[in-house]
Amino acid sequence: MREKHGKWSALFAEKGATLSNYFLRRVAHRWDAQDLVQEVYLRLLRMESSDAENIRNPEAYLFTVAANLVKEHAVMRQQQPVGSDGLEELFEQLSTPCSAEANVDRELRRQRLGAMIQRLSPKCRAVLVMHYRDDMSYRDIAERLSISTNMVKKYIVKGLATCRQRMADYE
Amino acid sequence: MNDRGNFDAARRARRITEQAAAWYIEQHDEPDTRSRAAFLAWLRQSPEHVAEYMAIAQMHGDLKSAASLEKLTSDELAEWAGRSNPVVLFPQHNIRHVDQRVGASSGKWRAVAGAAVAAAVAALALLGGMHWRTSNLETHQQVVAEAHAVRSVTLPDGTLVQLDKGSVIDVSFDAHYRRIDVVSGNALFDVGKDPARPMLVNVGGHVLQDIGTVFDVMRGTGGDTLTVISGHVRVWNAPPAWPNETKTFMDTLRDDSEAVADLIAGQQVTMHSNHVSTVRAAPLNEVTAWLPTDIHFQRETVGEVARRFNAYTTTPLIIEDPRIADMRISGVFHANNPQAFVTYLASLPGVYVVQGGDRVRIVASSSHGNDHAGKL
Repeated sequence: MREKHGKWSALFAEKGATLSNYFLRRVAHRWDAQDLVQEVYLRLLRMESSDAENIRNPEAYLFTVAANLVKEHAVMRQQQPVGSDGLEELFEQLSTPCSAEANVDRELRRQRLGAMIQRLSPKCRAVLVMHYRDDMSYRDIAERLSISTNMVKKYIVKGLATCRQRMADYE
Repeated sequence: MNDRGNFDAARRARRITEQAAAWYIEQHDEPDTRSRAAFLAWLRQSPEHVAEYMAIAQMHGDLKSAASLEKLTSDELAEWAGRSNPVVLFPQHNIRHVDQRVGASSGKWRAVAGAAVAAAVAALALLGGMHWRTSNLETHQQVVAEAHAVRSVTLPDGTLVQLDKGSVIDVSFDAHYRRIDVVSGNALFDVGKDPARPMLVNVGGHVLQDIGTVFDVMRGTGGDTLTVISGHVRVWNAPPAWPNETKTFMDTLRDDSEAVADLIAGQQVTMHSNHVSTVRAAPLNEVTAWLPTDIHFQRETVGEVARRFNAYTTTPLIIEDPRIADMRISGVFHANNPQAFVTYLASLPGVYVVQGGDRVRIVASSSHGNDHAGKL
């Protein structure tokens, strides 16, 4: 089970952009990313406190709830069955109807984000690139830049938050 | 206009984003049971937390793909990171000297270690009110606004400076640094981009780190006032022997937690020689009251005019399309009404206006591609 959660979390990270774009474009269908979030939130709230104690990995739980909601909604909307385990297929299906457009969007987003990374402070930029492009460990990055691993984490948090905020300005 | 409301909302949104990012990193770094429980409690506090956490997870995925666009090797990045920090600096060292020169009351001053600065300023002063030396990268210049008029100067790096009546700044650019001393009076900076040469502005024992920013500095005997109009500025304590220690100072500028204040658009602090006030919402109308009430322009580019408006507003105009930015226009607008200028721009052929929460983007109609965009 744990493995599956991890997989969903990774899938969401990978396909999340496609997913929310898909929803955002269909605001007219009265189901959008906001609704998804609201519903996820309500389900988190409705948990009994004993349930909450038993959740060993809240992040995995969060993404599982989200993924299931997406799935339920897809079933409702498309009126066609989705394989019980076919989350990957589902993502494919969701993005297929507008895949050309989605690809353009994704590439544009990637270019903007690439340019944004270059505008970060030199240390933040170095940390992000070493982490995301070169897959270096926190410790290796820390050593290379003569800073603490704690600072490496701080820079990644800062980089994530800054990119998130600046990209939100585009959307 | 509800500056205060916008400002609070922006600050709140930023805090949630940073919390979400911190939780994300922590949850992916072998969290213990307590950390996981705390994380779940945070998620259950607000749907905004849920939304932001998902957005950060998405950004994490996007960054993996976007970081591959980076051309520099990790060695080059490390080298650059070790050397440069974009910094704006505000020491108070030369203030006594300055006040004597401009004849203002000097107040009570602490013993300062800035003899070198004072000597350098004195040397410049002896040479006269204006001092110019400009080469390819080198610029050494004292800019003085006349007693009866606000002055606007564009420096060689593209930095736009507006000086209140009678204000004085010293500009000293070399191959490594861009240094500016706010000597006296009131100055507003729109800092030009030059990643290879950090910007260092001197005012009062403090250092500011800027990230594409418009900010206003007012010297005063009761402390210097810093107001961020748009963008983001971080304040540090300055080293005692500025500018001789520039390089050492930059090298030791590692730990963000040593910053003494962090300001975003619409915020203000008062900087005293031994402390910095808490960050407060800025009365922007008062801060920019000294700027001209009308903006006149005669065959200037749209980009230049937009920057002049950006001195007045926390929602700056961003001209994204270079062809639009280079278009030349003439006109007169009330400075406190950037919306009129936006409407004017929107009426030009091929121009679209995209109204965002903290900025107004001006784009070419061909790149118009989302539902929030609209022709005004």
